[in-house]
Amino acid sequence: MITFILKRIGLALITLWLLSVIVFLLGQILPGDPGRAILGPLAAPSAVAALDHQLGVDRSLPGQYWHWISSFPGTSYTYQTAIGPILTSALGRSLKLAVLAGIIVVPLGILAGVIAALNVGRPLDKIISIGGGSTTVIPEFVSGIILLVVVGVALKWLPITATAPAGSSFLTTVKYLIMPAIPLVLVLFGYIARMARAGTVEALDSDYARTATLKGLPRGVMIRRHVLRNSLLPTITVVATQTGYLIGGLVVVETLFRYQGIGQLTYQAATQKDFPMLEACVLTIGVVYMAVTIAADVLFSLLDPRIRLKAGQ
Amino acid sequence: MTRSNDELDRLRSGRSELENHYIDELVTGNLSRREFLRRGSTIGMSAPLLGAILAACGASSPATSSSSKSGSSTTSAPATKGGMLRIAIAAPAAAVNPLSVSDAGGLCMLNQTGEFLIFDSNLKLALEPMLALSWSPNKDASVWTFKLRPGVTFHNGQAMTSADVVYTFQQLADPKNASNALSTFTGVLLPSGVKALDPMTVEFTLEAPNGNFPYLVSSDNYNAIIVPKGTDFSKWQSTFIGTGAFKLGSYTQNVGATFVPNPSYWGTKPLLSMTSFKFYTSQPPMILALEGGDVDVVGQFVPAGASGLLNNSSYKIIKLQSANHRELSMRNDQAPFTDPRVRQAVAYTLNRPAMVAGLLSGDGSVANDTPFGPRFPSTDTSVPQRVQNISLAKQLLSAAGHPNGFSVKLDTEQFEEIPQLATVIAQDAKAAGINIALNVESQSLYYGKSTFGNSDWLDGTMSLVDYGDRGVPNVFLEAPLTSGGPWNAARFHNKTYDSLVKQYVAAVDLATQRKIAGQIERLLLQETPIIIPYWIDGLTASTPNVSGLNPTSIAQLYLNGASKSA
Repeated sequence: MITFILKRIGLALITLWLLSVIVFLLGQILPGDPGRAILGPLAAPSAVAALDHQLGVDRSLPGQYWHWISSFPGTSYTYQTAIGPILTSALGRSLKLAVLAGIIVVPLGILAGVIAALNVGRPLDKIISIGGGSTTVIPEFVSGIILLVVVGVALKWLPITATAPAGSSFLTTVKYLIMPAIPLVLVLFGYIARMARAGTVEALDSDYARTATLKGLPRGVMIRRHVLRNSLLPTITVVATQTGYLIGGLVVVETLFRYQGIGQLTYQAATQKDFPMLEACVLTIGVVYMAVTIAADVLFSLLDPRIRLKAGQ
Repeated sequence: MTRSNDELDRLRSGRSELENHYIDELVTGNLSRREFLRRGSTIGMSAPLLGAILAACGASSPATSSSSKSGSSTTSAPATKGGMLRIAIAAPAAAVNPLSVSDAGGLCMLNQTGEFLIFDSNLKLALEPMLALSWSPNKDASVWTFKLRPGVTFHNGQAMTSADVVYTFQQLADPKNASNALSTFTGVLLPSGVKALDPMTVEFTLEAPNGNFPYLVSSDNYNAIIVPKGTDFSKWQSTFIGTGAFKLGSYTQNVGATFVPNPSYWGTKPLLSMTSFKFYTSQPPMILALEGGDVDVVGQFVPAGASGLLNNSSYKIIKLQSANHRELSMRNDQAPFTDPRVRQAVAYTLNRPAMVAGLLSGDGSVANDTPFGPRFPSTDTSVPQRVQNISLAKQLLSAAGHPNGFSVKLDTEQFEEIPQLATVIAQDAKAAGINIALNVESQSLYYGKSTFGNSDWLDGTMSLVDYGDRGVPNVFLEAPLTSGGPWNAARFHNKTYDSLVKQYVAAVDLATQRKIAGQIERLLLQETPIIIPYWIDGLTASTPNVSGLNPTSIAQLYLNGASKSA
């Protein structure tokens, strides 16, 4: 198991390095330059040149890349300040929102999927399947705006922004995060319920489930011990692959709810050509994504002894 | 109007030739009360003197240029002491560095703690002394002398003197610096032109005479807040050091900022006990935050997408006349726009009143394809306004050899209502047989490097761009239209025009400025290198319990006199 994890970490490090090179090269294709982005389109060319020189973006490409590697995470071009504190606070906010959305949607999605599978073809199954499919296709900016207008402005039930005042208690922070978490729950609920349903239907139809039933196991025990263990495997994969989205892909939700997470930060860094910030953001999202994927693999192997065996061989 | 000639004679004595000229213009009715205030303040006449002259002429208190759709924010609610005001503004796009700030959010942050030599008040349409008590030009307006306000201290307790002012302007005008103010000072002021005559007097020797120079060192030039000598601008964000009524409480990148009253402020102390700014990256959440009670004020917004707020009488809206506009350039050196008749034809297809009503919800006014408009007193209003005339447009096209019209591409940017404006222009032009294909790009792609040959903005055959507000039309007249202008997207080269602009910039008295403005306006209507369809008002919104807000049309917000009742 340890060899398996170490191998995965080694691969992850190579992937991250490749990612940094790709982002750096792709970043060169983006139009404009940092000096121009900071000083605005109407600034004098001499001022732009002076700023570009100060920032070091007039160096050769390998020179810029080496300077970034050697001073990682470095200083933001745009904010003229150290990247570390900005990035960690943005990541902290993104993680809070992602974890809250995850805590709501994962059990809810799995439960709904299993219930649908146990009622295949019946009205309950159809309600869950069609309902889940429908919420998944509602873009976050649509559900977000509707929530803001109805729940925030008209009913005034929940705060209209996601950022709780400084020094707020845990419960107040959660209260501020509920409304922005709902659009994410709506988007992910359909995916997770669908995967859980499909996995459960397949497992219920399997030989081992039939054997368990025939040998006289009560239905509840059979589902818990034999069906869920197997049916959850694809669901875990889905949840793990959505982590990147939940951490770094929430630009719209963060904009709507005035929440300075890592999604916004990445988007701004890309539009401002703030290369050190962009690299730091993408790599951070990459690290979180890979950590979750490795965790999912470990969980996978715990649930499925065959994978453990393969890794051991 | 009852006039007191004795009082007027008393006030005239000892005044300069130029000051007496303005008094004559006021007496003869050539200058309105508002214009007298504006021009008088530009050449350094004090507010009490201007008021006394107006009173002697039988006129009353100064006019204000703001109008309010649902009660004026400056008058209605009674002033209350204490309390925290929460304000939604656009997030500063980069570090808040006085040298490099170029965006609405950033410049609004600068003016919270920083002050200028002069304040250009949109509410009063006049220049008001801020850190300079008085200013005056030499005879040809090539040297300006500023007397500083005594007893002003920075937030660190250090006294403000001419050394700080000289340092600030030398940094702003230094071509070697990454200074945003270089777009204002290039060709006007060099670092060597700023010197201290004594601890309280600063002299600016200009590269060329400039009758409107006080505007260039006023709050209009939003980078020009006075900082202590030796300030490292790149680290200013950690202190926000200035001389203003508020000083920094806290600043969190991309999230917000708080400010608290400065107990040693030279002027009237603020009423509020704290201001809290919340940063937003788009307009809809700002408006929802006001409606949802999360903020008390929306610093500046545009009509597009704000109809819910504009049509709701339970909010106060402050509306400021502004020179914020859109400019459609046509390449004078490229077919089919080499012929001025073709350019005129495009201008005649536009239904401007419909644009103002539809795209700006009425919060603006029609423009006449020249940088002169209602914001500037020097505008010659006798020049007729261009109106839609499709048959004339068709005649002009036929005469120019395009009886069946032509097809052309229009490059523009994704910004506020501009994509919609481009669509309306294309629809209007179609009536005369002109087929305009739109190319709407992100701002970074559209502006490119902002130099000729590297920018769709500057290189497009037709190009539609935004221009922000300015207190004087100098930049609008020079950069996009003179032969050497760095933003001359129309490639307009006209020696008569260049010479007229030079004369206009140097002119100090209003009558001369207006005379030249008339000539410029007529020449631009004849040549039509660019089309300016409308002027856009500056809008600020608040809940009804907020009073005393003092916004400017470039997105600054002065909260010295603001208060919030329970």
